[in-house]
Amino acid sequence: MWPLARLAAGAFSSSGAFLQVLSAGRYRTSLVNSLALSTAAAFVSVALALVPAWVFARERFPGRNLVRTAVSLPLTFSGVLVGFLVIVMLGRIGAVPKLAGLVTGREWFAGSAFTLTGLFLAYLYFEIPRAVMTLEAAFRHFPPELDAAARSLGAGPITRLLRVTLPYAAPALFSTLAVTFSASMGSFGVALVLSRRFTVAPLEIYTELTAFLNDAVAGALCVALAALTFGVDRLLARRAA
Amino acid sequence: MQRFVSSAVLPACFIIVLGVLLAPGAARAEDKTVIQYDCIPNYANWGGVTALYKQVTGVTVPPDPKGSSVAMAALEKEKDNPVADCAYYSGAIGYQAAQKGLHQPYKPKGWEKIPDALKDPNGLWWTVHTGTIAFLVNTKALGGAPVPKSFADLLKPEYKGKIAYDDPTWGGTSFTFVYGLNELMGGTEKDFRPGLSYLRKLDANVSSYPRESIYNAVLRGEVPIWINADGNGYKMKHVDGGPVEVVIPSEGTFTMPLVMGLAKGAPHADETKRYFDWLLSPPAQAEFAKSFFRPVVAGTLPAELAAKFLPDADYGKARALDLSKMAAAADALKKAWLDEIRGTGR
Repeated sequence: MWPLARLAAGAFSSSGAFLQVLSAGRYRTSLVNSLALSTAAAFVSVALALVPAWVFARERFPGRNLVRTAVSLPLTFSGVLVGFLVIVMLGRIGAVPKLAGLVTGREWFAGSAFTLTGLFLAYLYFEIPRAVMTLEAAFRHFPPELDAAARSLGAGPITRLLRVTLPYAAPALFSTLAVTFSASMGSFGVALVLSRRFTVAPLEIYTELTAFLNDAVAGALCVALAALTFGVDRLLARRAA
Repeated sequence: MQRFVSSAVLPACFIIVLGVLLAPGAARAEDKTVIQYDCIPNYANWGGVTALYKQVTGVTVPPDPKGSSVAMAALEKEKDNPVADCAYYSGAIGYQAAQKGLHQPYKPKGWEKIPDALKDPNGLWWTVHTGTIAFLVNTKALGGAPVPKSFADLLKPEYKGKIAYDDPTWGGTSFTFVYGLNELMGGTEKDFRPGLSYLRKLDANVSSYPRESIYNAVLRGEVPIWINADGNGYKMKHVDGGPVEVVIPSEGTFTMPLVMGLAKGAPHADETKRYFDWLLSPPAQAEFAKSFFRPVVAGTLPAELAAKFLPDADYGKARALDLSKMAAAADALKKAWLDEIRGTGR
């Protein structure tokens, strides 16, 4: 609590700081960007995590543990490392454009590491494992009798998914959205390496502190970022309950 | 088998790793140390210089990835509880740090050999070597485009996505570039419009504004053109054997003193003073020169290295910048750059 109090005190020490952060300009843009990027990353990663989470929770197959470990591996990487990985894959001479050049004759995605695409893919890279792990835990508790009952009443796989599984899993989906969203909002290392002009709030906080030692604006940005994250989380928690 | 792995092998691995991590830590505590902020091994051969110092004296100077601006901010932040003994900066940022009262005076041995313009009369900062802003061009990575010769060339569409210069709010070298460019384009320390207008056009060709050293990325060809200090390019070419050319832009360029200062409240002040004395000695100056930064002490640049620099005619186009004006403009220029270049786009 003490660091939080210090931060808030810094933010309120100068009356203009919040005004500066919330009025049009670099700071507000960074908050809006963070919100948009994190929301998109949360929805897409949860959507993409549904199938692997379901499979891990319900199926037993050879090599399951290996695949599971491989999927969860990105969780152990720091943001900066993920950023460098994206450059290795999607840089100007990255693996993907080189391979695309060999196959199609055109180096697709060359240099996209430093575009919004690269940033978004990097966020997905560390959010999908998080979503898979969180959802898997929820899916494990899914009572198989429900599915069996629906099947015995003649429901096809799509109907079962839409009418039985998803409604049952809805709270877990919302809380997974909240977890991935919050992690994206706070993520810093990836943007530090990859952000060219698309700035996000944690990067602006870093710059304010390191380049200008502006505790007031940095603190105000922190408080605004935390408030946004907390607000969205509460919203999702209410849906989950 | 699986149960065996998780019950015995994994904890064993964990303990071994923990042991390995802790063992050198215990030994290191007895070593003598000097903490230098901004000690990037690939910049100005700090890696070689600190290794040589360790070999000669046994004193460790660990690497530190901060750029000049970040180093200054860290000193200021830790003012009441200093961690660092000294810092290394590009000239204007070191000047600013001294002005902010972050340094204590010290005049290392060999003080009189430093030209007056390159040191503070009170010993708050002094130059250890100088560099010149240049284009470092990986010729193999240009994709058929010719080697650019001027700032005007860099705006051509054939260089799209091929240029990088460091975020000037991170690194002092890049701040020197941005400040000097503005002057070159007709701006002043109060009017940044000419420089920023050029940089906005250049932005169309810039792939990234790095906040870490991209020395290896240039060498690999990930970044074909890096606007940075000339020495880093000569080192890529002559030491690492990369297909790299150093270009002094035809419109002119800027020299940059690289300075150091003793941090106020330095925890190992005496050790640091001995380190400073050694840094101006011929062996240390020659070691800096291996990375093609020009030693500040005249006569310490070995002849075979001197021959590898571009001809003096090129360097005639390099002007010195007024550090006091630069320091005064630093915050405003960095903010303007963020507002106009970085913080605006998608």
